[in-house]
Amino acid sequence: MTTTSSSKAPYLPESVEPALSVRQVLGLERVLAGEPEVVAGAGHLDRPVRWVHVAEAADVGVMLSGGEMVLTTGVLLAGDDGRQAEYIQSLHRAEAAAVVLGLGRAFPAPPDVMRRAAERCGLPMVVLHRPFPFAELTEEVQSRLVRRKFAAVSLSETVRTALTGLITAGAPLQALLDEVAQHSACPVVVTNLAHRVLATAGERPAVDDVLRDWERIARQAGGNEGDGWIRAELGGRGERWGRIMLCGHRGDSATGRLLADRAAEALVLHRMLGGSAHTWEEQSAQGLLTDLVSEAVPARQLLPRARAAGLPVNRRTFVPLVVRGAPPDRLDRVLRLLGLPGLAAELADGVTAVLLSLARDQDADALTAHFATRLRAGPDAADPVAVAAAGPRTAWDDVPAGLREARHVADAVADSSAARDLPAVVRLKDVHLRGLIRLLRDDPHVQSFAERELDGLLCAAGDDLLSVLRTYLASGRNKSRTAQLHHVSRPALYRRLEAIQTRLGVDLDDFEQAASVHIALLAHDAQQG
Amino acid sequence: MSQVIRAALFQTAWTGDKESMIQVHEQAARDAAAQGAHVLCFQELFYGPYFCQVQDKAFYEYAEQIPEGPIVRRFQALARELGIVLILPMYEEEQPGVLYNTAAVLDADGSYLGKYRKHHIPQVPGFWEKFYFRPGNSGWPVFDTAVGRIGVYICYDRHFPEGWRALGLAGAEIVFNPSATSRGLSRYLWQLEQPAAAVANEYFVGAINRVGVEDLGDNDFYGTSYFVDPEAQFVGEVASDKETELVVRDLDLAKLREVRDRWQFFRDRRPDAYGPLTAP
Repeated sequence: MTTTSSSKAPYLPESVEPALSVRQVLGLERVLAGEPEVVAGAGHLDRPVRWVHVAEAADVGVMLSGGEMVLTTGVLLAGDDGRQAEYIQSLHRAEAAAVVLGLGRAFPAPPDVMRRAAERCGLPMVVLHRPFPFAELTEEVQSRLVRRKFAAVSLSETVRTALTGLITAGAPLQALLDEVAQHSACPVVVTNLAHRVLATAGERPAVDDVLRDWERIARQAGGNEGDGWIRAELGGRGERWGRIMLCGHRGDSATGRLLADRAAEALVLHRMLGGSAHTWEEQSAQGLLTDLVSEAVPARQLLPRARAAGLPVNRRTFVPLVVRGAPPDRLDRVLRLLGLPGLAAELADGVTAVLLSLARDQDADALTAHFATRLRAGPDAADPVAVAAAGPRTAWDDVPAGLREARHVADAVADSSAARDLPAVVRLKDVHLRGLIRLLRDDPHVQSFAERELDGLLCAAGDDLLSVLRTYLASGRNKSRTAQLHHVSRPALYRRLEAIQTRLGVDLDDFEQAASVHIALLAHDAQQG
Repeated sequence: MSQVIRAALFQTAWTGDKESMIQVHEQAARDAAAQGAHVLCFQELFYGPYFCQVQDKAFYEYAEQIPEGPIVRRFQALARELGIVLILPMYEEEQPGVLYNTAAVLDADGSYLGKYRKHHIPQVPGFWEKFYFRPGNSGWPVFDTAVGRIGVYICYDRHFPEGWRALGLAGAEIVFNPSATSRGLSRYLWQLEQPAAAVANEYFVGAINRVGVEDLGDNDFYGTSYFVDPEAQFVGEVASDKETELVVRDLDLAKLREVRDRWQFFRDRRPDAYGPLTAP
C-alpha cells in the first residue's frame, strides 16, 4: 500500500516509494492476518517506520536509534509491572516508532500496565491476537524498506546523470530546470536572495499561477515541506546567492527533497563552470524582454513574469528604450546608481533594450533624459552611446509596441550618430526621413531605386567614396565638417566630391539631385542594417 | 488616508579620497531629487573609508564640528537647493580629543535640525571603534522634518532593542540605520534585526550598508540596503551586495497607523516591570 499519486504516473517507476508509516505496516496483508489491534497511541500511527526489530530484551531501548517498530512476545516482561512500564519508557526514550506485542503464553490479553504507559507517552502499541512468526513480518517490511532505499538511490542517480550530462553538453540553465520539472511534475522556480525570479520551468499555466502571487508565496514558503513547497539553497565558497523551489510537489517530501538537492547541486555546478557568458539575472531579463518585443507571448501573460523578476508593475509608467553602444551590465550599473527600477537585456549584438518602470507622478521624459545623460557621460563610456526612446506607456499591453518603436528609432540612427548632432534621447520625431526609409527598406521599388541611384559607387572601389558621400549629406553638405571627420584636407575632399559626382552623374549642389542621392543612400544603409 | 513619502538610501564604495567621496554623495542627492525623493540617508561615516578597521590616529582628521564644519554647511546648501531632507552620518569633533560617531539631520529647507550620537561602540577585530569614538550622549532625538518624524540609530546600535524602542516612544515614523558591516560577521543578522525592530516598534526602517573591500582591511562590506515596513515586509527589492546603488522607495505612512490599530504594543508594554533593564 502506498500513497503515491496517480497523477505522477509517467515518473512512477523512478519515484521513491514513500516511507512506510505504522498505519501502512498494519495494513499489510500478512499483518492483517494476525488480527492487529491498536491499544494505545492511536493518534500517532502516521509515524514513519525506518526499520523493524525483533527484541525480547528488557533493556531494548539501548539497542535502538529511533524510528524502529519493535516486535516482542513479552516473554521476559510477564508478571513484572515495573519492568513492563520501564520497557515502554525505554522505547519512548529511544524514539521507537511503535511496539507490537504478540499475544500468547506470556500475555494472553493486552497488559494494562504497558497499555497505560504507552498511552501516556504517545507510543503506538499494537497487539496481535493471532500471532505468527515475526520473521515473516520483518522480511516483508524490510524488503519494502530496502526497495524504497534502492529507489531513492536510483532516482538520485538518474537525475544526477541527466543533469551532469546537460551541464557537460553546455546546456543552458533552462534545460536543467526543464529536466528537474520533468521529474518533479510541479513548477520549479529559481530566485536570487531578493526573491527575484530568475528562471522557471514546468507547465505554463501552473507556473503562471505561482508567479501571479509570487511576492506573498516567496515570503511564506519558509521551509515547511509538508505542503509540497520544497526549497534548496544555492551557494558555494561560503556564500549563498539564490534558491531553487519546487512549488506544490505532490509526491512525498523525501522525493521532493532529493530532487531539490540534486537540482541545487547541478545549478551550483552550472554557475561555477560559467556555462553562459550572461548571468542568470541577465538571461531572465533577456527572455522576458525578447518575448515582449517579439510578441511571441501576449504581453498580458508576461505580466506575472515581469513582476516576479522584480519590476514594479502596479500603477506605473513604463518607458521603453533601446540603447546602442552600452552593454547590459553597464546599463544595470547606471540604473542602480540612479535608483531607477528597470530591466536591461541585449536584443542583438550591441543593441540593448531597457524597460524603465516609474511611479505615475514622476516626470518620465526628464528621468529618461537624466538616465541618458549619465549613461553617455560615465567614466566607462568608451564608445558613442545612442539612447532611443518610445513615448511613456501607462498600459502594460502597450509596452511591446513601445519597445519596437524604440528599436526602430535606434536602428534608424545606428550609422549616423557620429555625423549628426543627436539629442541625448532620440525619439521617433528625431529620425525624420531616415525613420521612414527604415520602415520601407524591404520594398522592392525602394531597393531598385537605391541600386539605380548609387550604381556608380556600389562596387568595392567605391567604399571610401560612399563613406565620404554619407558624411557629406548627413552633415547637411558641410564641406569643412566632412573634411574634418574624414581627416582630409579641403582640396582632397573637393577631389573626392568631384569623383562622386562624376561616377553618379549628378550635381550635388542641386538640391533635388542631392536629396535623391541622400534618400537612396539612406535606403541602401537601411537594407545593409 | 494614504500619506506616501518617497525616501532614499545610498550605498557606495570608498573612492580613495574624501573630496571625491563627498562629490559622489552630492551627485546621489541630485539623482534622488531627480526622482522626487523627499528624504535621503547616507551610509555610516559617509565621506571616509571605514577607518575603524585599523587604530590609527591619522584618521582623527576626518572629524569635524557639527553643524559648524564645512561638510554640514555644504550639504545644507544642497538640501536647500534640492528641497530634500538629508541625514549625514559623520565623524564629529566636539572639541579636540572629544569625538563621536554622529549623524546630522538637515531639513528640506537646509536648516540644521540636530544630531544623533551613536550610543553603542564596538571594539572587536575589524571594528576598533572605541579607539575613535566616545559613546553617544545625545539621548534619543526624533527630528520633526518636512516629511515626517525621523530617528537615527547607527550601525552597532541596531543590536540593542532599547534604542529602537526609545525612538518609537519618541514618535519616530522612520528610523534610519546607517551602517558599515562585513559579510563574514553579520550577514545572518542583517535581515533579521531591523525588520524585527520595525515590527516591534511599528515604524519604517531604512538600513544602509557600504559596499566593497577597502584597502585598510579585509572587511567585505555587503551593501544590501533596504527599507522595511511596520509589518517587516521589504519595500521593493533589497539593493545589490556589491554595487553602488541608490534605493528610492515610496513609503506609505498610513501603514504605520493601520498596524498600530491592529497591534497595541505601545499600550500594552509594562514599563513599571522593566526596572531591572535599567539596573547598572
